[in-house]
Amino acid sequence: MSVKPLSYYRERYIRFQPSPFCPGCGNGIILNCFVRAVDELGIPQKQILCVSGIGCSAWIPSPNFRGDTLHTTHGRAIAFATGAKVYNPDLYTVVFTGDGDGAGIGGNHLIHAARRNIDITVILVNNLSYAMTGGQIAPTTLHGLRTTTSPYGNPEHPFDLVKLVAAAGATYVARWTTYHVVELTRSIKEALQHRGFSFIEVLSQCPTQQRRLFGFRDPMRRLPSRILEMFAESTYIRNRPQRENYLYALPRGEPNEAFKAIEDALKGLEASARLVDHITYGRVVRVDSEDLEAVSERLRNLSAVERLVDALEGKIELGVFVREHRPEFTESLRTLIERAGGM
Amino acid sequence: MVCIGIKDETISFLIGGEAGQGIMRSGSLLGKALMRGGLHIFGVNDYPSLIRGGHNFYILRASEREVYSQGDGVDLLIALNDESVELHINDLYPGGGVIYDEEGKLDPRELRDDVKPYPTPLTGIVKEIGGPRVVRNTVALGAALSLIGFNPETMRGVIRDTFRGRESVIEMNIKALDRGYEYAERNFEGLGCRVEASKRRDGRIMVTGNEAIALGAIGAGCRFYAAYPMTPATPILHYLAAHDEEAGMVVVQPESEIAAINMVIGAAYAGVRAMTATSGGGFCLMTEALGLAAMTETPIVVVINQRPGPSTGMATYTSQGDLLFTIHASQGEFPRVVVAPGDVDECFYLTMEAFNLAERFQIPVIILADKYLAESHRSTRPFDPSRVGIDRGDLLTEWSGDEEYRRYRLTESGISPRIIPGIEGATMLANTNEHDEYGFATTNPEMVKAMMDKRFRKLEALRREIEHLNPVRIYGSEEAEATIVGWGSTKGPALEALRMLEDEGIKARFIQVVYLEPFPDERVEGLLSGDEPKLLVEMNKTGQLGSLIKLHTGITLEHRLLRYDGRPVNPGQICDAIRGVMR
Ligand SMILES: Cc1ncc(C[n+]2csc(CCOP(=O)(O)OP(=O)(O)O)c2C)c(N)n1
Ligand code: SF4
Ligand SMILES: [Mg+2]
Repeated sequence: MSVKPLSYYRERYIRFQPSPFCPGCGNGIILNCFVRAVDELGIPQKQILCVSGIGCSAWIPSPNFRGDTLHTTHGRAIAFATGAKVYNPDLYTVVFTGDGDGAGIGGNHLIHAARRNIDITVILVNNLSYAMTGGQIAPTTLHGLRTTTSPYGNPEHPFDLVKLVAAAGATYVARWTTYHVVELTRSIKEALQHRGFSFIEVLSQCPTQQRRLFGFRDPMRRLPSRILEMFAESTYIRNRPQRENYLYALPRGEPNEAFKAIEDALKGLEASARLVDHITYGRVVRVDSEDLEAVSERLRNLSAVERLVDALEGKIELGVFVREHRPEFTESLRTLIERAGGM
Repeated sequence: MVCIGIKDETISFLIGGEAGQGIMRSGSLLGKALMRGGLHIFGVNDYPSLIRGGHNFYILRASEREVYSQGDGVDLLIALNDESVELHINDLYPGGGVIYDEEGKLDPRELRDDVKPYPTPLTGIVKEIGGPRVVRNTVALGAALSLIGFNPETMRGVIRDTFRGRESVIEMNIKALDRGYEYAERNFEGLGCRVEASKRRDGRIMVTGNEAIALGAIGAGCRFYAAYPMTPATPILHYLAAHDEEAGMVVVQPESEIAAINMVIGAAYAGVRAMTATSGGGFCLMTEALGLAAMTETPIVVVINQRPGPSTGMATYTSQGDLLFTIHASQGEFPRVVVAPGDVDECFYLTMEAFNLAERFQIPVIILADKYLAESHRSTRPFDPSRVGIDRGDLLTEWSGDEEYRRYRLTESGISPRIIPGIEGATMLANTNEHDEYGFATTNPEMVKAMMDKRFRKLEALRREIEHLNPVRIYGSEEAEATIVGWGSTKGPALEALRMLEDEGIKARFIQVVYLEPFPDERVEGLLSGDEPKLLVEMNKTGQLGSLIKLHTGITLEHRLLRYDGRPVNPGQICDAIRGVMR
């Protein structure tokens, strides 16, 4: 990443300050990464068309990005972008969409655009819920989480969007989180340069709605960093060597008490324990040690421990999953367009 | 019980601040306290977005008499930030007061000299008691109660009930309330308004239109509710999801409105009462399936809470722009009911009626409300489901088997007895293709015509039935010098306007068209045949009820008060317009 001052990006690329988002929202980070990617590639702003649906994520480009934007209706951004791209294939066409917008109501457009391999970039902000309308279940909400429409826990299971879009035929597919800004920026650059349908899912923090979702009681200002730490804790990057010298102990009962019991049980061992948030398991005790055998031995039958979980178990995989080349849709359409009288 | 405001026998508060400062919560706390004190209340909120950011306000109006809407001004402005003072100082009646945080930079005296300033250390008190910033609003409520001379004990009770189970929150809020109250008592002269609680408790409840619709669905024995979140209909979904067990209802949030309505039709086919709710944009997606319900003669109830369009429009504001769309939505021609409640009681009772009409006539019934009605609070008497009752119509739960069951039997009334699938000896063929009596697809011209005629025969009985449901309601003077015509949520401001006009010695009446499809043409025509000046009041650009009246009766309402900026009509606007047409 280059080291230009923030003011450079603001003046050049951002239309409004402050942003319309809640303090600490992940959408600001994503806008930042996007702007840096565009800047590093040196794409003229006039050559970018940003299309978005309806939801908080739709406000990332509109009105913030200083360029041409279209704020469409809920779920329809990709269909609109398809039309725009077909008749103006030189535009870098970027769709910003939410998990509800892109994978719920607009899910059909998403898989069909992937199948066509049309040269657009879709950045899907996965904040695990419908944020703008008040924190309802999204098709990405994890099983059992509480939302305003699942006060007793989500009865449904989430999509794995990377697998879904890859199976539908997308030729560039990646997943990152708002914690991984360097990787995300690099990935947006790759996606913009990729010829074909590129899709990036970004796991993002929404302090306003995820407070309920994850049952966090902290004051609002402390939530963004807590959620980002959780993203870091609960993900790993594929094809990268992983440290595996730790495990998680899922507490039985109150986590703080379990933590004390675990610390006691580990006395005398070369091991350090701490409480962390895990997206799949909630509040858990992480134990780092070079001798995990001995740690397991001590904790396995502890009444404060529900079960032990390996370092990578239940984690979300990040990285670039698909990078392929296949004929692109507007290219294939070119002959049709010419028969229809050209551009 | 006494309640005297600056202008009349009502008192109005405007609580303003930034989103996230607990504006709505304060409004509802104050409303509940005054209601428990024996007053009638009405509360309306205004917010630019559901997520953080922007200016929010809540207007609460209370009186010993029934209150139908906000008034034209307010007695007391409770400003949680400086911006609220700037934005609303001109909403105050002369002689009104403004509570604001001493720490702000603004001096309200510079804005208006006929307004009493009440600088209160909202932030200071919160700091002293070690509370979170958001309890500033409770401090302000304490000060407000002191200024109107209202005993804070009732409010303490409301706080205890609202935060039940969260002892530290209760303690903090009561402390904040008391400190605000004491501060104002020591430092300020009263507002000159008086509100005293009475001992009388008549078990009033405070509900929104959305809650009343949800309760109506529960009262009607609705067993399945599927809806996709869409402001301003989402609160129904939240309410039912939280009360699914008591309600005996399965509540599902699917992937789109298309899925929602089709699930609802499926559930109704399977034999239970089912409902969905949305706003205009979501209803656009439902229109294909509305025809499905009509063609298969499957009874469903759809709630539309309108907001301004076209397209995304303004999600958190109000409108009556979808009337003609709703009446004509979907392919082809079929009977349907469109009914528009005008207040929370009608939200409850008309929802119950909607289920009965849907099942008895096997048609889709649409309840057409709007943001202003759906999200505003009103106090009322507890609802009584037995006033409407449940009539499931011609629904068979067994089949004798003497003859073959025909789902679409050509009957004299047009209503073919409905059966639940899975019953021994009878098969239920529902078909969206035009079909014969058994449900098999057909293109035979005689059968096609017979089926269309059968569906439309239901309309005759439906019209007669609706006659009994008081489809056009009249308020005000018998011999009116002027008539206001409207539908839906303009009822509240119109009833307030009638009172104001009466005080001026003008005899006026309000005609509320409640059932808009099938249109009660004879009634409306009869009522509009007099010579007095008439004023059409709607919250849309083109006067859609006016178009309907013209279509069905030939009468043109020339005088129109149309508001389409997303804000509700104020009673004073109606009065001005009436004075205008009487000239
Ligand atoms: C047809 C239609 N249905 C419903 C809505 C209401 N609506 C607006 S945003 C939204 C959900 C947005 O969720 P998501 O896409 O996850 O975006 P987020 O706000 O979480 O970024 C919904 C349901 C709408 N605008 N249009
Ligand atoms: S509600 Fe969530 S996603 Fe929306 S702006 Fe606030 S923090 Fe961001
Ligand atoms: Mg989302």
